[in-house]
Order: sequence, then C-alpha cells, then structure tokens
Amino acid sequence: MSGMEEEAPDVLCQLENVQGLVDALTAVRWKRHQDAVLELSEHGIVLIVEESGCLQAKVYLKKEIFIRYDYNAEGRPRFGVSLGLFVDCLNAFSVPGHSSLIQIWYPGPDMQVLLKSVDSLDASICAEIRTRIPDTSAWDYNFEPAGTNPLTFTVKSAALKEAIEDLEWPGSSIQITMEPDPPSVTLRAEGHGDLQIDFIYCVNSDLLVAFQCDHRVSFKYKYKFLRASTSNMPSSVTKENRGSKLSIGRGGMLKVQHLVSISKPSASHSHVDSAGYQQPSRIAHIEFFVKPEESED
Amino acid sequence: MKFKAFLTENGVNLLEKRFIPSLEKTAKTCHLYFTKTHTLFLHNLLNGDGIQSIAQFTKQVLFDDYRISSQNDDRIAFTIDLSLLLRALRSSVAICNEYSSSAVPNRLQIKLVKKLPSNCSVPTPFLTFETRGFKSAVIQDIPISKPLSRAQVVELQSALDMAQDVPPTLIQVPDLNQLLNLVDRMKHVGDAVNVSISKYGDLTVQVSTTLISLGAEFRKLLVIGDQANAPSEDQNLSAQTRSSRSILRGDAQSVQVSVKHFAKSLQYHLAKPDCAFYGIAPQGSCLTMIFQFFVPGSRETDKSISLHCRLPVLDPGTG
Repeated sequence: MSGMEEEAPDVLCQLENVQGLVDALTAVRWKRHQDAVLELSEHGIVLIVEESGCLQAKVYLKKEIFIRYDYNAEGRPRFGVSLGLFVDCLNAFSVPGHSSLIQIWYPGPDMQVLLKSVDSLDASICAEIRTRIPDTSAWDYNFEPAGTNPLTFTVKSAALKEAIEDLEWPGSSIQITMEPDPPSVTLRAEGHGDLQIDFIYCVNSDLLVAFQCDHRVSFKYKYKFLRASTSNMPSSVTKENRGSKLSIGRGGMLKVQHLVSISKPSASHSHVDSAGYQQPSRIAHIEFFVKPEESED
Repeated sequence: MKFKAFLTENGVNLLEKRFIPSLEKTAKTCHLYFTKTHTLFLHNLLNGDGIQSIAQFTKQVLFDDYRISSQNDDRIAFTIDLSLLLRALRSSVAICNEYSSSAVPNRLQIKLVKKLPSNCSVPTPFLTFETRGFKSAVIQDIPISKPLSRAQVVELQSALDMAQDVPPTLIQVPDLNQLLNLVDRMKHVGDAVNVSISKYGDLTVQVSTTLISLGAEFRKLLVIGDQANAPSEDQNLSAQTRSSRSILRGDAQSVQVSVKHFAKSLQYHLAKPDCAFYGIAPQGSCLTMIFQFFVPGSRETDKSISLHCRLPVLDPGTG
C-alpha cells in the first residue's frame, strides 16, 4: 500500500482561477442531476455529458489552462463523477476577490478525485469526490462535414442566447435554415404561434461575424436541447463580447462552440492590458452536439 | 408591571445597525428579557432544538432613565418579532434625524403598554416607541406576547444560567467572512458538518456524504483555556488523519452540527464582533461560539456587551 502511495498519480494539476473552471463546467450543467465522464490525456482533460441520445456536451480543458499539469498514465483513463457535486465542490474553493490556487489529483487511494487548496499552510480546503466506472458508451456524435465546404456561421454569443430565449414561447422545435443568397441564418419556431429570427450576414453588421454556406440547408432541433447549449453560458462570455460558432454537419448534426476564459481575474494580472487582452491559451473550449429531429433536406 | 426607558444614541446604533439584523437571521422571534441591570435577547432557550443565542447588554449601554418594576423581582420577559422591532427602530431613527436640527434634542422612549385594539375586546400588550419631534410625536406600537408568567421567567432565568458554561478549550476563529463563504457552499454538498477543535489550535470543518467529502482546516489559531503543543510527527499528515489522531489522543473534540445552523451562526458577524471563539462543551453536548467586543478604540473587552450562541449537536461524536 505504501508503495502505491509513492507512485505518481495519473494526473496532478494546479489551477489558478477556480471560478473560471466553475464557469466553464456550469455551461454544460443543464439540469440538477447529471453524470459526467472525465477523460484524461497528455493534452489535458475533457469532460463529457450526454442526454437522451440527442445531446452531448464536451468541455476541453487543455493542459495550458493549468499552471502545472503532470500526466503519468498510459492509455486514457476515464471516470465518472456527478457534475453537480463536482461543480458545487469546486465552488467552495472559489473565494470572491481572491485568486485561489488549487491542486487536483486523480486517483486517490480509493479512486477518488482529490482537490486541495494550496495557498496557505495554515488554512486549507480539501475535498474528495467518489468516482464511478463510466458506462462503456456507444455514443454516436461523430461530426462530419456535410459536403466539401463546411456549413458554418459565427454569431455573438449574447445574441445567440437571446434569440434562443425569445424562441421559447412557440415552443417544441426550432428550425435552423442557412441560405447562401442572401447570406443569412434563420431560426424559426412554430407551435402556439410562429416566431422567426433572421441573422443577415452583411459587411457592416457585427452580429454575424463569419458565414460560410454554399447551399441551402434546413434542420429541426428540439427546443430544450438547443436551449441547453446556451442557457448556462457564463456571464464572462457575454462580457468579453465573444462569439459562438455553429456548424451543421452530415445528417444535420449541429455543433455549437463557445469559448470561456479561465485566466486569472484581470485586476490581479499584470499581463492583461486595458483592452482586456488575455493569453489565448487560457481558454476552455466548449462544444455541444445536437442531433436533428428529422431531416428535411 | 411597568417598563419605561430612553434609548441612548449608542444603544440605537448597536441595535439597529448591528445586533437586531444579525439576531433576525437566527430566528424571526426571540425573547426580550429586561432585568434591573440588563437587557437580553434570547433565542430558543426554552425549547431544545435550534440555535440558542444570548445577547446581553448592561442597561447603561442601551438606555438612560431606565425604570422597571414587576412583582417578579423586577424582571419582565416576552416574545417579540425582531423584524417588526427593527422596522420600528429604523423609522424612529429616520424621524429623529429629520428633526435633529431643532433645538430640543430628540429622545426615543420605549415603554410597555396595554391597549385595546379597535377590533378586540381584550387589552393586548405592546412595546411602544415614542419619538417626540418639535411639533409632533410619532408613536409606534409593536405587538408582543403576553409577558411571561413568574414560573416561566424563573424557567427562562435557569435556562440562561445553564447556558453560561464556557468550554475548556476555545480557539479564535480567523476571518468569519471567509468561513461563511465556505459554509454557504457546503450547504449544497451535505446537511451535517463535523467540527473538530484541538488543543493545538486546529479547527476543521467537514461535510461528508457517501459521494463526497469537503472540508477546511485552519491551523495555529490562538487557544484559550486547555492547550497543548502539536506533536511534531503529525505535521506532514493530511488534515483528516491529523484530526482523528488528535481525537484519539484526547487532545481534540469533534461534534456534528447542522450545516444550516452553522451557516446561521456565522451571520453573527453582522453584529461586528471584534473576535470570535469556538469551543466544544464537555461530553460534546454543544458547539459554543463566543463573540467578543472591544471598548471602541481599544483592545480591551467591553464587558457591557456579550454575545454567545450554542449549536445543538446532531451526533454526540467523540468525546
């Protein structure tokens, strides 16, 4: 046993800004009880959540996000945790107005995830989260381009969130249509009434930042899954005026990508200039994959 | 039964800005207990569950021209709604400030009265606030319970006497705000928190369930009462091991209390105590928190104000 303890853990990493991590993980927390799978590799940590075979979300925490990332495993260890508990627990480490350094370690002697604050010797916070063996999942969220050219657009994250919120009252499902001429994206809901929101791509508008589409496509998605992709978007994303990238792949698979900053709060960071420039590496990538309701194309 | 007094400026400040807002967080109502020498706000002294809290002021801190008489050794106690008391106090202060430019200094009088409400045939008791302005007087009546009977007052006094024992080891708690922040988040993780206090000056606070354990450890805190030097071989152990070893050695005690109670007790920082001490009563019967107030501008304990609370224990834990 003592020999085992001396062995290096699969992963030992240290992070400066816990709140950033809490924000990134909260973005994929669309209901109270959710199981998440964590996958470790030499490149970093990926957290995956899934629902009803229709929606999957991944949070990519690249090793550059951490100030220390020691990886010693062979293969890619995977384990399951309750996302809610993991986030609530991380939250306890986040002290407002205080940058807190935490250490995350896996596995503990009983295959737990161990968390520890390492700021001060005389006051420390520790946590242990029980993990479980993940199901050998056969998730099918392979995103493949629909044709030779990608079908994709980038919209201001705040505008996307607002548009999806506005589409709530007609309910049920949302039809997303991309049209090359005139270049535009249409979100349309039909139910108790109709509501249509058009994003027009034109040079002077900064709403639709990028647009690429060579033929008309149209797919329907369940409203609740689409909403899950934006409902818990951290406020830092809208504050930093970031964009979200949406792509439609083969069979209508929708990919929604957000970027969440995990760098230290700028007040305590000398490298951040007044324009809010932050090291690009300290960004968590978040991806949602939504399967269409039925193909109409 | 008569009670009549004028609130001092300091008294108004203490109650309005500090004590009542924090006491209100523990429970909406409390016993207000006047004696010849003291005024006390008491929570849950007559019923066993919930946080017991005792805030005590000498009459000179809160009042001048203090007149009390009752057939029960000049003691009067009743139940009062703290939010109503705070509202009355706040509006009286606002009225006083509005007229403060007038030549006559405003004084805030409180007294116990019995009045016949319009829709009622039995006179009911009130605590009345009276603010006299230059041309007008504003009177606010706060409904209170029927004053406690002689037997009930005796029971309250003996419960109060019983709640005065000080734990053998007390440790000074660091930043209450930081602890509050942590405990607020612990509420999401579990319902019960284990608190352990050692003679070495260690405080550990831990929530454990089958899926998760989350805890904080504070070391090298100031100890009052029974203390000991931490064994050097324990220095490099984990917080949990260190805590269980010190319990085995008889140098530490641990109790389990409700996370909700613990979070509520941290709200006493609203009363702006100058320091806070935690201790565990013998046999782990309760977790005691003692708040200390200094004479303004000094580091001397202000003996005219005292505040302490006792958290009921869920599991007697380890002695």
